[in-house]
Parts: sequence; structure tokens; C-alpha cells
Amino acid sequence: MSSTARTTERAALAALAAALVAVPLTGSAYLTNLSIVVALHALPAIGLSLLMGYTGQISIGHAAFYGLGAYASALFALRLGVDPWLAIAAAAALVGAIAWALGWVIFRLRGHHLAVATLALGIIVYVGFVEMRGLTGGPNGLSGIPPLSVPGLALDSDFRFYPVAWAVCLTGVLLATRLIDAPLGLAMRAIRESERGAEALGTDVVALKRRILVVSAVFAAVAGGLYAHYIGFVSPQPFGVGFSIRLIVMVAVGGFASVWGALFGAAFVTLIGEPLQKLGHFDVIAYGLLLVVVMVFFPQGILRELGRWRRARVRATAA
Amino acid sequence: MTEVVQYVFAGLVVGAIYGVVGMGYTGVYNVTRIVNFAQGDFAMIGALGAIAAYEAGAPLSAAVAIAVVAVALLGLLVERLAIRPARAEEGRGIIITLGVGACLQGLAVMVWGTDARALPAFSGERPIALAGATITPQALWVLGTTLALMLGLQVFFRATYLGKAFRACAVNPYAARLVGIGVPSMHVIAFVLSGALGAVAGIVVAPIVLAQYDTGIPLGIKAFVACIIGGLGNATGAVVGGLVLGVLEAMATGFGSSGYKNAIAFVLLLVFLLFRPRGILGELDRADH
Repeated sequence: MSSTARTTERAALAALAAALVAVPLTGSAYLTNLSIVVALHALPAIGLSLLMGYTGQISIGHAAFYGLGAYASALFALRLGVDPWLAIAAAAALVGAIAWALGWVIFRLRGHHLAVATLALGIIVYVGFVEMRGLTGGPNGLSGIPPLSVPGLALDSDFRFYPVAWAVCLTGVLLATRLIDAPLGLAMRAIRESERGAEALGTDVVALKRRILVVSAVFAAVAGGLYAHYIGFVSPQPFGVGFSIRLIVMVAVGGFASVWGALFGAAFVTLIGEPLQKLGHFDVIAYGLLLVVVMVFFPQGILRELGRWRRARVRATAA
Repeated sequence: MTEVVQYVFAGLVVGAIYGVVGMGYTGVYNVTRIVNFAQGDFAMIGALGAIAAYEAGAPLSAAVAIAVVAVALLGLLVERLAIRPARAEEGRGIIITLGVGACLQGLAVMVWGTDARALPAFSGERPIALAGATITPQALWVLGTTLALMLGLQVFFRATYLGKAFRACAVNPYAARLVGIGVPSMHVIAFVLSGALGAVAGIVVAPIVLAQYDTGIPLGIKAFVACIIGGLGNATGAVVGGLVLGVLEAMATGFGSSGYKNAIAFVLLLVFLLFRPRGILGELDRADH
């Protein structure tokens, strides 16, 4: 890495830190809420980046893990009276186990077969949320989910929840970057480049894909659990195919194989989503266009391509 | 017994719908190896387009023709604007077509709103009694169109020069280029064909299934399941798979509960993907490069 790149990176980190501190200080509940949503979307996006970007395994059903985490955590807290923190942990463990079992089935598939199978699983889970009324409350969902609390303080407002959301999100970023820098991360990228090659070097390809799916699902489930206890209400609607596609847009904007990129993508997509909400049902056109434009013109993600253009311009003016 | 016949009829019609949409996948898949996730949305746009043209006063046949040509051109645009510039291989192609599908849905909402619309049946609504059960004339239209398209595609791929060139690209694009076949043109033709087939499928089923901006995804997925059951990239396979799926779904709805109807498609999908990924009839043979 060149020294200019390192300076840019430090500047970006400083800007992020400043923004994170500044948001609650504005006293705006709207901005704080928006920032929390970014953190909650960033976690599943980072998980998807690990799976899709680094390991090269497509998933068009990732909203299912987010939704399962939210519902499982809500149910643990509501039906069993488990403390919300524990409920999130239990939900994450449960979703991880589900992902482990699913991995056994779906990683017999590759490419478009995998894409369709994950899409189908996503739809099955969504239909399950709607149809299993006794457990999930059907289309009406579950309400009255207790908020998280620390001793003596319920985290029941945007400002109180804010530090938790970002602490968990940044912990996720840290864990993910550690994972990809570890030998395991190299093996992940080897699978993406060539499964046969990775196998020849002694990587158990299917086992590793399953492990990454579990990690990825747990990231999504933790965010889902936080969401449930933050909003206090879950219904099937936010966990449909539309959210799976938005997660792919986030990862694509971030350049697929990039943890920080996924965080940037989550912020980008969430922020442009705000004015789009006024468009009602045809906001999908914006996500669709964004996805196509990014895939065609920014295959390495918006940040990296812009950086490359800038460097090319600097070089051109210097010469 | 009458009940069973009625279920089979209903299943065959629904299955033919899956099959006719499913055939749209074959051309693009064979030539580019991309599964066009916007295929169902092509059908949706075709149906809504025909309905709009009809409501604007065009005779039914003209409305159908306008919509088919328009969606075929849309296929051309998609290839030119989104697929070719990205030089898309399989994975990126999937994601791009997902994005294209989302755009088309947004476009449909923008132009036609979120209401479900129907096209009038092509030859009246009076049901025909057959073997103790009844069938609507539109259902016969669906079955007939499916059969005609299936045979038409077989003739196109096997007997025409263009169709043979098309298949050559599918089997081995490199060798096809060596003998002077324009592979990029074949990509264009594949997308135009997929648009036209999608539109025809959407239009012929529009009098039975209401068309709405979001009917494309479920239709496209069921049709893809039909392709997997029959053998992806094989037009006859798409129809066979569609009929199998349609009849099984109808039986399940008739004798069980409709809540599990959707599960059948996905269970079949997983079973076939895991145990017979090449489907009942098999995929086109391809020289791997």
C-alpha cells in the first residue's frame, strides 16, 4: 500500500469517527435513527461481502438470516422471557446452526444453481413468517418486544441505543477484517479464484464455504436481533426478497470483496433510500438502476473506481 | 374421478404457463450461460404492455403484436446497455439481470401503477366440457401456444442456419468464432428472443392470471424451477418440467392445502438440484473450455 493510500485511509477513518460522534450531538432523533439503521444494515452486508465478495458464493436470500435472527430473538424474549442480550445470542447461535445445516445442502451447488436455491430459501423463509401465524403472528407480526437494557437503564430511545448499534457494528468490522487477514481469509479468496486450485492446495472447499456461511448468517442474525429489540416490533415485510437484493446492492457498491466497502455501501444505499421512500413502490427502479450501473461502470465498487480515476487524472496532469 | 381430471386440467394449464415462460430462459442461458433473472419481468411487461395498447383502442391482435415487438426491443436494449458493456460472465450476469428486473418492476409501477389488470380472453369465456371436466378457451390458447412455441423453437434450432449457428455458440463459442459465426450477434439474438418469448408468455396468460408489477418474480422463479426439472437450456425440457410442476401443484392444492402449494416448487427445485441437476431431459451438451 502506498503512503498516499494510507493517508487517505486514515483521513477516511477520522471522518467516520467524527461523523459517528457528531450524529447524536446534533440532538436530531431522525439522524440518529438513520445512523442506527446504517449500522444494522452494515452487519448483514459485511457478512454477505465475506460470502459473496471474498469466497465467491452468491446468495440472493440473505434477508432470511436477518429475519430469522429478528424473529428468533423476539420469540425467545417474548415467549421464554429470556433477557434480550441473551435472546440475541441464542438467536445468533440458532441461525448459525441453521446455516450450518443449509450449507450441507446448498454447497453441492454452484453459480446460477446456487443463486436460485438461495433465492428459493429466502422466499420459503418469508412465506414461513407470513403463514406460521401461531408462532410469528402472520402478517401482523410480533409486537411488544422488550428493549435491550444495561443495569439501571433501558436502551429504549434512539440516543441510548445508538452506541450499542455502532459498537456491535464496528466489532463486526474488526472481526471481519481479522478473518480476511488470517490464513483462512487467503483460503477464502483461493476458493473464489479457483475451487480446484484451492482443493489442490489442501483446502477443504465445502467445509470452508459452510463455515463462512455460518459466520455470514451470524452477522445477519445479530443485526436482526438488535433490530427487533430496537424497533420493538417485527413483521415479515422488511425481510423479503427486496431486502436481499438491497444487500447485494450494498455489497456491489462497496466493491464486493471489501469489509469497509460493505459498510460504505450500507450507508450509501440507506441514505439514498430516504428520499426514495417518497417514490413509494417504484423506489425499486432506483436500486435496480444503481445495481446495473455499479456492475457495468464500477465493477470494483464506487470508492475504488473513483480513486483510480482520480489517480489517473493526477498522473495525466503531472505528465 | 371427475375431480382428478379437473385437477389435471388445471395443473396442465398452470404447467403450460410455467413452461412457456421457462422457454424464455433457454436462448440466453445456452449462448451466454447467464440465467436471466429478469425473464419473469419481461413476461410482466409484455402483459401490461398489451393490456395498455388494448385499452388505448388497438385491436387485440395488434396490441399483442405491439407488445411482443416492444419487449423484444427491450431485450435488445438490455443486452446493449447492461450485458455487453459489462462483458458479463455468469456471476455478474446474474446480478445485472436482477438489477434489470428491479428496474422493469419500477418502470411498470411508474407507467401502470400498482393495480392488477387483465386482458380479455382471446376467444370468449364459455367453458368447454371435456372428459367430464371443463376447460376454458383461454386455457386451450395457453396449451396451444406452448406447444407451438416448443415445436417452433425445435425447428428453429435444428433446421435453420441461424438456429444452428446459435447452437454452435452454445456448444463452443470459441470454435463458433473460428468458423465465422458472429458470437456477439448471437448474444443480441438471444436477448431479443428471450424478450419476445417472455412477452408472448405473459400475454397469453394475462386473461387467466392478472398482470401486476410484481407478478414477474414469482412467475419467473416457478418457470425457472420448471427449467431445472426438465433440463435447463432445453425448450422441450422447460415445457415438460412446467407440466410436471403444474400438475403436482394442482394435486397438492386439490387434496391438501393451498398453503403448501408454493413449497412444492421449492422442494422439487432442491431435490432436482441435488440429485439430478441436469433435469429429466438433460442440458445441451457443451464443450467445456
